[in-house]
Amino acid sequence: MTFLSPSALWLLAAALPIIVLYMLKMRRKPVRVSSTLLWTQLLLDREANAPWQKLRRNLLLLLQLLILAALVLAAARPAIRTPVVASGSVIGLLDASASMNAVDGNRSRFDEARQAVASLIDGMPSGSSMTLILVGTTPKALAASESDKNALRAALAGATSTQGSADWQAAFALAAGAAHGSQGSTTVIVSDGGLPDSGLPALPGDVRYVPVGNLDNNIAITALALRPTAGAPELFAEVTNYSQADRTVLLSFYLGEQLLTAYQLKLAPREHKGLTLDQLPGASGVYKARISDPHGGALDALSLDDTAFAVYQASSARRVLLISKGNLFLEQLLASLPGIKPFKALANQAGSVQIPAEPFDLYVLDGVYEDGLTRGNLLMIDPPANPLFVVGEPFQQMSSVKVNPSDLTRYVDWGNIHVMQAESVKPPDWADVLVQADGGPLVFAGETLGRRIAAVTFDLRQSDLPLQVAYPILFSNLINYLVPPTPFDATQSLRPGGSLSIVPPSGIKQIAIVSPSGQAVSYTPGVGKLVYDGTAELGYYAVNFIANDGSTTADYFAVNLFDPSESDIRPRPGIQVGRTIINPTASRQVGERELWQWPAAVGLVLLLVEWQASHRKPLRLPSLRRKGSPSPT
Amino acid sequence: MLFDETTLRKLKQLTLVASRVRTGAIKGDRRSSRRGSSVEFADYRDYTPGDDLRRLDWNIYARLERPFIKMFEEEEDLAVYILLDGSRSMDWGEGEQHKFLYALRLCAGLGAIALASGDALSFALLQSGGIRAGFGPMRGEASLSRMFDVLEGLQPGGSTQLNESLHQFAVTPRRPGLVILISDLLSADQPELGLRPLLARGSEAAILHLLSPDELDPPLSGDLQLVDVETGAQQVVSLDGRLRTLYQDRVRSWIRDTRGECRKHGVGYVQFSTARPWDQLVLLELRRSGILK
Repeated sequence: MTFLSPSALWLLAAALPIIVLYMLKMRRKPVRVSSTLLWTQLLLDREANAPWQKLRRNLLLLLQLLILAALVLAAARPAIRTPVVASGSVIGLLDASASMNAVDGNRSRFDEARQAVASLIDGMPSGSSMTLILVGTTPKALAASESDKNALRAALAGATSTQGSADWQAAFALAAGAAHGSQGSTTVIVSDGGLPDSGLPALPGDVRYVPVGNLDNNIAITALALRPTAGAPELFAEVTNYSQADRTVLLSFYLGEQLLTAYQLKLAPREHKGLTLDQLPGASGVYKARISDPHGGALDALSLDDTAFAVYQASSARRVLLISKGNLFLEQLLASLPGIKPFKALANQAGSVQIPAEPFDLYVLDGVYEDGLTRGNLLMIDPPANPLFVVGEPFQQMSSVKVNPSDLTRYVDWGNIHVMQAESVKPPDWADVLVQADGGPLVFAGETLGRRIAAVTFDLRQSDLPLQVAYPILFSNLINYLVPPTPFDATQSLRPGGSLSIVPPSGIKQIAIVSPSGQAVSYTPGVGKLVYDGTAELGYYAVNFIANDGSTTADYFAVNLFDPSESDIRPRPGIQVGRTIINPTASRQVGERELWQWPAAVGLVLLLVEWQASHRKPLRLPSLRRKGSPSPT
Repeated sequence: MLFDETTLRKLKQLTLVASRVRTGAIKGDRRSSRRGSSVEFADYRDYTPGDDLRRLDWNIYARLERPFIKMFEEEEDLAVYILLDGSRSMDWGEGEQHKFLYALRLCAGLGAIALASGDALSFALLQSGGIRAGFGPMRGEASLSRMFDVLEGLQPGGSTQLNESLHQFAVTPRRPGLVILISDLLSADQPELGLRPLLARGSEAAILHLLSPDELDPPLSGDLQLVDVETGAQQVVSLDGRLRTLYQDRVRSWIRDTRGECRKHGVGYVQFSTARPWDQLVLLELRRSGILK
């Protein structure tokens, strides 16, 4: 055993003032006795009156000296020499990917890896430092060049495994950054070996590999997808056996919590089998596939990939009403766009029209404006005077046209488009100008009072836009913005950590997204789409759209693992970093395991005992005289 | 009244025993080893000129033609001296266990026995190296009330200098008798040495050694400053269970040594705790030890 701070042992000298103070403050209680004759003789015999004898039997003083000794011992940082994997400037990469949730025996691989890192921290010799990186879906540094073992332990205690794939490229970039500038750094990768087989860059300094896990027993659902067909949707599922033994599994399908059907599959080692279900119910909902042991036992070591979800959104055509004095370009366009069910209302020459009573998702006003349209989204073309924005005199200055980058102008090439004349419009505050000419905006869009409104300020027949490729693209973008087909695309499930673009419908005041574990996050929709990336959990998420009138509609999307590199949990004998195969590392350096916690704990316990003893006054020592001992008489 | 009539009646049944004392002044209720003129025949001896011819056994002379003098048992009284330690250390204890009160009752009990037996009772209170109070000799049960009056008026005080007090008692000419010393012996003196002059003059002595329960097993612990109520001397002590055990051992050793010394000098010795009822001590323990019968 060695002491890392031996100078702290000088603090033991504090025992002297404690003893002196104790002797000085020792107060004796006067007690009358019939005679001191026998006491004097007794004390002369025993020399019990000597100072050290006075102190010998004092429990409080003894406890205080023991407390001092324990605390000084802790301050001196006793340590024993132990073999360790690395020392000096250490960079620890702790694998927190989904495969680390596999349970080998009675604890998970992540717990085993954390224990390995804890041992690494405990064995760090004085002067060493560690950068600890948690390699999950998004790698993050838990501690940077930290030499305080307590801080490292605290950082390690806060580390949790993820349910997604590990981004080793980003983790290696972080590790390379941490190693830059430090001499002789050692990178220790604590993982089950599920790193990419190639493509990882070399790291500066030594690289060591501490493997965890020993089982390959895993069967996974590696694909689950829904495909809308003309009739009912079709569901495709794929199951893969990653173990080295023949396995039989029960594959069950559910719609919500209702069991639809189940199949028993026999899988050879490393074999995968696909299965397609048709004649499914056509209703929107969440489909679940689950594999289990036919005999009801534990299926495998990794349960994260035993369940998968797929969401089916039954499409519904958007109803669009075209109000025009007659425009063939628009009629053909609306008839050709998918997911659109067009209607037409002809206006008379004065511009007035009879609006149908039933609501439409979108009103396309071509050269007209109807005051009675106080609700619904509007696409206004060649707008006349209206209460939504100010329309001025026509202009023809089109020498330079600028297309502002936006989701609505994506893939729109305005280079070959010519506009002869457009209405001069002062863009309202609620709108974003998409296409700007010298004399004013040509296209703008925005949202006001819960309505989405887009305007094209020129007559299509006074331009060659309808003849250009940009025409259907621009109008498709505008119509999809004004009446989104669905707020988001849920046909393909996401990977953990992936992002989802949500285009909120109009009239929505709040969006609440509920994760599979029940945690809810609320957003207030702004202009444009919302990007949600809180998809760390596997399962299906509910997206609740809360309208201005308080009504709520819910859509769903699924997050599945579907990563062979994570589901294939067999331990790897080595990992490839750069061009080098890194084999498991034995402990070949000498470190120091500190033992200060033990004397500190003993000191704390003694402190409590001393506190308890000091508050019991007077202090009564137990009598040594046994009951019934003979009396002198 | 130091005790009641019932106890007094029981005490009257008892007699103080002094096997070696032989010098009675007047005839009493006890048989002397001296041959005298009582009616109870004891032995013969040769005639010597000057003998009382009335005690010549003429029948023997007729048969053997040799003169023999008849000797008879002589009944005589016993001089009983009760010496009470009246030092301040005796002023210790609570209630019935107060040492001086206990000693007074013991004095009264023994005195009642002596008076009832026709013995000549004398009493002395030993204080500060002298004899502070005393009475006697007195005889007969008629002296009981006087004895009680005197005893009830006594108070403890002063220091313990036993041997000096015993010396003062010894230098006063007295007929030999039974000397009973009642004391806690909490003095550096060895009382058996102080009694030696009395023994040399033919007296017989006994020590009744009384100690209170808290002197035998002190209920103390912790860091203490002991104050002697008699001398005012102070003694600091850190008292724990181990030291208390040592004290008890020391007390036992002291009692054992004192008993041994007393036996060596022919002094009777009885040690007792004031926790024990005094009448039981008199009626049982002193009879068992041979001081009473």
